[in-house]
Amino acid sequence: MKPTINYALLVLLCFCGSVNAEVPTFTIEIREHLFYPSQLVIPANAKVKLIVINRDSTPEEFESYELNREKIIMGGAKAIIFIGPLIPGDYPFFGEFNPKTAQGMIRVEN
Amino acid sequence: MLDAVLLILREVLEAALILSLLLALSNKLQLNYRWSFLALLLGVAGSWLLAHYAYDIADAMDGTGQELLNASLYGAVILSVVVLSLFILPLAFSSVKDIASTRYNQLAHQQQLLYFLFVVIVSFSLMREGAEIWIYLSAFAHQEDAMSSALIGAAVGAGIGMSLGAIIYYVFAFMRQRYFLPVFLLVVTLLAAGLSMQIAKQLMQIGLLDSGKPLWDSSFLVDEHSWLGELLYALVGYDSRPAPVQGFFYLLTIAPILVALLWRIWRLRVTTHE
Repeated sequence: MKPTINYALLVLLCFCGSVNAEVPTFTIEIREHLFYPSQLVIPANAKVKLIVINRDSTPEEFESYELNREKIIMGGAKAIIFIGPLIPGDYPFFGEFNPKTAQGMIRVEN
Repeated sequence: MLDAVLLILREVLEAALILSLLLALSNKLQLNYRWSFLALLLGVAGSWLLAHYAYDIADAMDGTGQELLNASLYGAVILSVVVLSLFILPLAFSSVKDIASTRYNQLAHQQQLLYFLFVVIVSFSLMREGAEIWIYLSAFAHQEDAMSSALIGAAVGAGIGMSLGAIIYYVFAFMRQRYFLPVFLLVVTLLAAGLSMQIAKQLMQIGLLDSGKPLWDSSFLVDEHSWLGELLYALVGYDSRPAPVQGFFYLLTIAPILVALLWRIWRLRVTTHE
């Protein structure tokens, strides 16, 4: 029984390690409560890694109802957010702490 | 200021709802309310600590600390709600007289456990939501004008949230004993199941689970941006585009309570037939 469990754990570990190895990566920066770029095109039906770098000294929350994501990014810090696989379409996102200015959109294309 | 009102209301609503439901339960089971002071104290202190160490938490575990911590807090709350529901469930099948006498005496022995569950549920919910409020307000630390405006907004938002909580409390506290426990169980089960979808969301965000194609898209029916959407989100974890794995977490949370319920019904039928 025990070797089986060990083996299963090993397989799981390899799986977790490899699962995010070859993921396309995109970077978004926050400056003066604005997203750069404010529009990002990513491939459809693929898992994508977003790196959000907050260049402001104040915290921001990356939030999107459409992408089903929310993450606080402290001032001067960097955050990694995995999204997708997504079907083609437009997915708006915004900064919850500065919703008036911090607006952006992820366009998913085939 | 309006931004602050909405943000704080969104954060406070869920914690206020949970607190009100458990206070109403305390009322119905003739337990005292002292636990709520401890829960609020722990929740506020904990949320401040989470905000204070936000950088370290976010950097921990290869940048997945925030999500893993949130998932753990959600997990503890859900587990406590499920255990609480399993305790309350038998009471829903006993008559009002029973609750007042024998059942209540039995419950008296488990009071400590109930208080412990109440404190965990409320303080952990408050910690997670409260930390976001502290972090949000910290942005205005060096701007006095913006800070006072944000603080007024926060006070208004918190006030609205607590008023809604008070309404929920009175609705439940004045409910007839016969209906109270079934309705309470239904509401907390849906609430816990809704929270479990948040765990899935946290794990998808760090790439540990895959999102997959949404089970459905009901955004045309109830938009998550709308007031109804926000309210449903706080109540039952409404998600207009849930991923399959979120649905799985939802069912997994409901399962133990549903099984216990069916078992009770089956036992009731057996005993009445004997």
